[in-house]
Amino acid sequence: MLVMSRRQGETILIGDEIEIVIAHVGRSRVKVGIRAPRQMQVVAREIKLVSEENRRAAGASASGLSNLIGRLRPQASCAQERGITEEASAIRKKIPGSS
Amino acid sequence: MPVMETKNFGEISFEADSELEFPGGLPGFDSRRRFVAVRFVESDPIIYLQSLEDPALCFITMPILAVDPNYKLKVKAEDLGQLGLAPARQPRIGEDVLCLTVLSLCETEPTANLLAPIVVNLRNRRAVQAVAPESEYSHQHALMPEEASVCS
Repeated sequence: MLVMSRRQGETILIGDEIEIVIAHVGRSRVKVGIRAPRQMQVVAREIKLVSEENRRAAGASASGLSNLIGRLRPQASCAQERGITEEASAIRKKIPGSS
Repeated sequence: MPVMETKNFGEISFEADSELEFPGGLPGFDSRRRFVAVRFVESDPIIYLQSLEDPALCFITMPILAVDPNYKLKVKAEDLGQLGLAPARQPRIGEDVLCLTVLSLCETEPTANLLAPIVVNLRNRRAVQAVAPESEYSHQHALMPEEASVCS
C-alpha cells in the first residue's frame, strides 16, 4: 500500500479523474473530500459490507424462510401478527434493571 | 386492518402500528422504505421484516439482545437524526428503541449482522440500519448452536 503524508488542505490525485482533498484533520477523525466521475461509486467500506450482507441475508431468507414455514404450516391457522409495541414490551421484560 | 401481499406468507393482515418507515432505505435496498414487523408465536423470537413495496423481500431478524445480551449500541448522530432522536444521548434498547439484528440463514452457517443493527424509534416507528463505523462487532457473527437449529 502506498502511504503518503498530507496536511489539511492538501490534495492527492489518482489518475486524471480522481481528486482527494484532506478537508479537515481533527483529533480522531479526518474529513476527506473526493472528486470523481459521477459513474464511479464512492462509498464507505462498511456500507459496502452491509449492502452485500443485506443482499446475502435477503437471498438466504427465501430458503431459510421456506424451511421455517415448512415447520410452521401445521399451526399456520393460529399464526398471529402482533404490533411492534408488544415486541417492545416483551424485550423490556427481558432487560433486567431497565427503567 | 390493512392487508399485504407477501411471497413467503401469502396474504397477511397487519396492525397499522407495526409499520416501520426507513427514511433512507437499507444499504443495498435504498428504495425500500416501508416494512412491517411480523412475528409468529411459533417462530418466536424471530421477527420478520417484510417489505410493503416488494412482496419477495423479507429479512429475518431477532432482537439483538437475544444474540448478545451485552450488546453495546452505538448510533451515529446522523442516524439519530433520521430516527428523530436527540443527538446528545445514545438510545437505550427496549426503552427508546427496538434493536434487531439481521440474520443470514442457511447455506453454510447462520450468522447475525451485529455491525449494522436495525434500530427502531418506538415513538414514531422510524427505523434505520445503523452501521457502526468504529465497531468491534462482526457483520457475520456466528450464531450459537441452539440458535443455529432454526436453519435445519
